Amino acid sequence: MTYHLTLTHLYPDHLNLYGDSGNLIVLKRRCQWMGIDCTVRSLTMGEVIQPGETDLYFMGGGQDTDQVAVVDDFHALKAAAIATDTEAGVVFLGVCGGYQLMGHTFLMGNGQETPGLGIINVHTRAPGSALQQRCIGNLVATLEPAIYAEMVRLYSTPKTIPPTLVGFENHSGQTLLGPGVQPLAKPIAGFGNNASGDYEGARYRNVFGSYMHGSLLPKNPHFADYLLGLALRRKYNDPTLRLPGLNDLEELAAHHYAVDRYGGQGSHQISHRS
Amino acid sequence: MRQLLLIPIVAFAKLLTLGLRLSGRGSGTALPGYLVGKYFPFVLASLIRQIPTVIVITGTNGKTTTQTMLSAMLSPRVGDRILRNRAGANLRQGILSELLKQSDAWGRLRFTHAILEVEEATLPRLASLLQPRIIAVTNLYRDQLDAYGEIDRTEQLIRDGIAQCPQAQVVVNGDDPRTARLTQGLPNPTYFVSLAETYARLLPYEGQRRSPEPGQQGLVATQITVNADLTTDFAVAGAIQSQSIHLPQVRTVSPGFFHVYNALIALTIAVLLGIDGQMALQGLQTFEPAFGRGEVLRRQVGSKGVNYRLLLVKNPASFSLSLELLRSIPALKLVLAINDNTADGRDVSWLWDSQLERLNQAQLDWVICTGVRARDMAVRLKYALDFPPAQPVPTLESIQATIDLSFDRALDGDTVFVMPTYTAMLEFRKLLGKTLDRV
Repeated sequence: MTYHLTLTHLYPDHLNLYGDSGNLIVLKRRCQWMGIDCTVRSLTMGEVIQPGETDLYFMGGGQDTDQVAVVDDFHALKAAAIATDTEAGVVFLGVCGGYQLMGHTFLMGNGQETPGLGIINVHTRAPGSALQQRCIGNLVATLEPAIYAEMVRLYSTPKTIPPTLVGFENHSGQTLLGPGVQPLAKPIAGFGNNASGDYEGARYRNVFGSYMHGSLLPKNPHFADYLLGLALRRKYNDPTLRLPGLNDLEELAAHHYAVDRYGGQGSHQISHRS
Repeated sequence: MRQLLLIPIVAFAKLLTLGLRLSGRGSGTALPGYLVGKYFPFVLASLIRQIPTVIVITGTNGKTTTQTMLSAMLSPRVGDRILRNRAGANLRQGILSELLKQSDAWGRLRFTHAILEVEEATLPRLASLLQPRIIAVTNLYRDQLDAYGEIDRTEQLIRDGIAQCPQAQVVVNGDDPRTARLTQGLPNPTYFVSLAETYARLLPYEGQRRSPEPGQQGLVATQITVNADLTTDFAVAGAIQSQSIHLPQVRTVSPGFFHVYNALIALTIAVLLGIDGQMALQGLQTFEPAFGRGEVLRRQVGSKGVNYRLLLVKNPASFSLSLELLRSIPALKLVLAINDNTADGRDVSWLWDSQLERLNQAQLDWVICTGVRARDMAVRLKYALDFPPAQPVPTLESIQATIDLSFDRALDGDTVFVMPTYTAMLEFRKLLGKTLDRV
């Protein structure tokens, strides 16, 4: 039987700040290499979606004006359908500005907190102290053990996968997880959700947020497979469904290099701006 | 009084530059300017106002090439003495360092023109000091996000810079919506350069392309042909200050559409400075590609010689357009050299906005990935190619090892195309025997 997935790229022409469409390039190719039939559709301003049309949503970050513009459109035309989907376990990935936008409040470049989409219970606030802090640099984080354990069991034949995620963060917003939301990973180097450096990313049902650019999925192929696996298991109602293990020689070489080069302590930096 | 103060300051700066070079700690392009600018902020204005005509070139891509082309057009005119800052030394300290270096022991500058490339975000901090007669903006693309921030903001900064100079004539890329609208609502006389519609459509601009207004001043390139050796031929027509311009045959030795814009901007500025179109064209023929922007370096070992053509990549726009150009090369031999130093952008996410997929239409003989982020490049390439290459892609962090391997793989007389980020380009040049000095 041939599996089929529909991926939806939210606001690709507005939320396209920095390389985040690499995540869709990766999902699409990996589907192709695994023999999964895959359609990528874009959903932009003025367009309507019905529940049940999508197996995986992706949303990147944008410039301030664009992020503000999509909030109104989202609430008017898309929020109800997407909330129905995500509550039913449809996969959703938001990166950086997209992650902030998914929450109840997000932060504009001028420091103003603005109501977000509210599909995951996180809040993003302005940096608290008088110093304006920006978290910028390479980010290496250890996956939450429960998530890592699920990833390991995803493959039809045993496959060695790293317990880490690697990427590059660049944000001043400080994200705090609310009740019912689990962290995705714990930073080894860099900050993640906020300057405390305690956690990186968020998970609620199959909704995931992360601050990692790089892009996120190319150097973290195990996370890409995990998202595809969750989407297939939900769609085909088969919790034991397994994925074939692809040869990820290049991806894992880049991953391990980033862990070795940037994963040491002291490689992170807060820039202070007056 | 201040003129007298210049003497010890200039002497200090010159000694510091000499010391830095002798000790091998740098080329002296930034530190003298940084220190002098910090402790004696009046020096920049004292020096620059001695030069009667200041021309500023800014924009994401093409600053250095436009500056080099314009110098080539002005140089033949008797009596013109041109000062320019070095490629890439386009922040305040780099410009000040160059002025200090070029001044005599009394702090005097005997130049008729300063042609300065200025980094985009630096423009509003320098514009009123420099009081340029002409400001040119080549284009506005997303660049390194970690260095520059949002492009909306960069556009605003350039506009702020122009607004400080209401007398300045402004030359902009008329096809790029972001640059075409820069002087809307400002009093500055504006000249637009553009490509004929068929070509402009191929370029990755953001937003709706603006249609030329009737009576608009500027230059248009038509009949653009990229030749097998990557030189580009085109025709130019237009009007600048009641002067009608017709140049049926123009050639740039730099490869690609970008450089057609650069040539049009340089031509427009030259005409505004009173140079005859034909004479400007003669100057353009003497132009050699700037520092890593289409430059050819040769490696000769015994009887075998291999050419390395350097096509600097700075951001998704320059990467995608250079790849487009390489589609016409038979049996393409390619080196992709990606570093993540500050000057390259520490975040390599931009590789995923670059259209490596264009290589699917190229006749790829072989490709090597190198630089600090060689592995990231190899992953990007793996996902871009519809079919994996016949032989595995060597991924070598060391640029020296890459030069050795590519030399072994190439045959005598072959050209290897190298697409390096900025610091990878510097390293390539150094390893192939070029120093920073030759700009």
